[in-house]
Parts: sequence; structure tokens; C-alpha cells
Amino acid sequence: MTMTHHVSDAGQSKRLKALEAKAADAQKTIDELRSRDALKTQFLSNISHDLRTPLAAIITHAEILRDGMLGELNQKQRDSVTGIVNGGQQLLDMIDEILTYVRSASDQVSLARTEFPIAELADQVKLLNQPLAAKKHITIERLNGDDLPSVYADRDKIKHVLANLIGNAIKFTNDGGRAWVSFARRGAEGEELVVEVGDTGRGIAPNHYDLIFQEFAQVDASPSRAHHGTGLGLAIARRLVELHNGTIWVESQMGKGSRFFFTLPLNAPRE
Amino acid sequence: MAARILIVEDSPLVTDAFSILFRESGYDVDVAATVAQAVEVATRQTPDVILLDISLPDGDGLDVLAQLRERNALPRATLAMTGHGDARSRQKCIDAGCAEVLLKPLSIGELLRRIERHLA
Repeated sequence: MTMTHHVSDAGQSKRLKALEAKAADAQKTIDELRSRDALKTQFLSNISHDLRTPLAAIITHAEILRDGMLGELNQKQRDSVTGIVNGGQQLLDMIDEILTYVRSASDQVSLARTEFPIAELADQVKLLNQPLAAKKHITIERLNGDDLPSVYADRDKIKHVLANLIGNAIKFTNDGGRAWVSFARRGAEGEELVVEVGDTGRGIAPNHYDLIFQEFAQVDASPSRAHHGTGLGLAIARRLVELHNGTIWVESQMGKGSRFFFTLPLNAPRE
Repeated sequence: MAARILIVEDSPLVTDAFSILFRESGYDVDVAATVAQAVEVATRQTPDVILLDISLPDGDGLDVLAQLRERNALPRATLAMTGHGDARSRQKCIDAGCAEVLLKPLSIGELLRRIERHLA
């Protein structure tokens, strides 16, 4: 009896040792991957920053030329230089998006919460997008929200989320369509705010509902796709919402439009 | 007399572009690429406006303001330029004495308007 007991003890402790060794190996791999991931994040952050500076200089030079500060241009010259400015700005926007993503993906990101009226913020973002919407004859409306309590959140980050959703609504809606922002409260005491950004655009297929919130994912990733971008916009929005302990999702009908929702706790603990 | 503007920015690509922009707009222009240079040029040339990049190779751009304050050589207005738009870094610039925080990049029209507003 005693003998068997000893043997089984020894066997168990051997198995335990093997398991411990495996766990240590796994931990080592995890640590290695983490530090590689951190390096990659740092690299992306540095390179985005370094790309930005010469590009900003190119755009400034092109603007100086375009505005005739170094002598009047003829119409064809002006159109061409305007192309440099517009292309440069588009590229800069994409680099900024990568930078924002890298910052939101790194662990160091922190929320600077303040109390603010979210309906006013929505109006601001709406106003910023007005020129783009007007170009496509798309109306943007805020349907309600005047009587909402203030939210306690990071204003800049929520502004970024709203700007992304409203920007997308305009981008993926045909001429003459409609986009809107509305608010609802849910939970037993209305403690959760649901923000909706909707549009009458082309819609999203149900099998893409999750995909669109993934990094670098685009519903149409082919080089010939109609809409170009980093594919980071909604992934950033998701991270920023999740930082606030909220969730983000989409409901859509193909050909009819999409409704993006995100939640914010109205009673977030005050710092 | 033309107003004098000091561009503090470590990228020569950017200072070149801004120098052309401001000279063509009728300003006298000086440039500096580091905190130390900026303090030296600002003390000697007494610019009306400083356009200040926040991240410089030898330190925080806001140090320029602290050192100029000690020497009683502050310009009429300092406009900070930053790539980060978050509320905290904006507030830090205002607290350090910047008249305004410009979020890079700015269209040249907007940049000129902001500067003129502080010279009016």
C-alpha cells in the first residue's frame, strides 16, 4: 500500500513538474509576444509621426502655390496644384487615423473624463460634416436629446466616435439621402445612454456586422474598391467606446440603410 | 514696420515652407530649431509672435516661454503647434502662457488669420 502510494506520489509530482514547465514556457511565449507587440506599436507610432512632418510641408508648399502667393497660376495649373493639396490631405487623414489607432490600442491610453452635454457635441460634429453632406445633398438631423442629463466621459474621444460614425454615414449614403443622430435611455433607471447614428445608405450584410469593427477589415478590400481608407475607423470607435465600458454595434438592411449604436453609462463613477 | 514672427520647429522642411508663407505675407521671419536657439533668437530679435512647436529635440517647447518670461522677453502672442488634440495637452499650453493652441495641420489661410488676429 505504502509503496503504491509512493509511486503514485512520485508520478503525480513528475506530472506536476511537467505541467509547471509547460506553463512557464507558455508564459515566456506570451511575454515575448507582448514585448514584440509593444515594439510594433512603438514603430507604428514613430513612423506615422515621421510621415506626417514632410507631408505637412508638401501640403503647405502646394497651398502657397495654389493661392497664388508666388505669382498667379492659370486655371489648369491651379487645378493640378489643388490635386496635390487634396491628395496630401487625404493621406494625412489616413496617417492620423493610424496614429489614433496606435494610441488607442496601446495600454497607456487614459480617459480624461469631464461632464458635458452630448447633444451639443453631436451638433458640433454635425456642423463640421455639413460641407461634405451638402456636397452630396444629404441632410443630417439630430432627432432628440435636448433634455438629456450630462454624460461623464472623455469628450475628445466621444467626439472622435461621433465624427467617425457620422462621416461614414455620409460616405456610404447616396446623393439626396438622410443621416441622423438620436438618443435613448435604457436600463431600469435609464442609467445607460444609447446613441444612434443612422443613414439611408447602402446598408451592410449581416455576415459583415462583426467584421467591420475589426482592425484593417474592409467589406470590400479589393484594390478596385470604391471607398479607400485605412479600415481602422470603426475599430478605433469600438476601442474608444469599450474604454468607456460601453458597447458598439450595427443593425442594417441592405439597400435601405444602417443604424450604428453605442452605449455610454450615464452614472460612471466620478473621479 | 512689418511684424516679426519667430518659427520654432525642428523640421527644416516645415520651417522652409512656413518661411516662404510668412515672408510672402509681409512678415519678417526668424527661425529656430531648438529650445536654446529659440530663447537666444527671441531675446535678440524680440518677435511679435512666436509659432512654437511643442516637441523639440532638446526639450519641451513650452520651456521657451518659461525662459523668456524670466528674461522679460515674452512676445505679444505665442501660438503653440501640436499634433495632439487632447484636452490635457491643450490646457498645458494655455497654462504655460500660450495665447492659442493650433492643431497641426492647419490650412495656410487659417494659420495666417489666427496670427493676424493676435497682432490686431
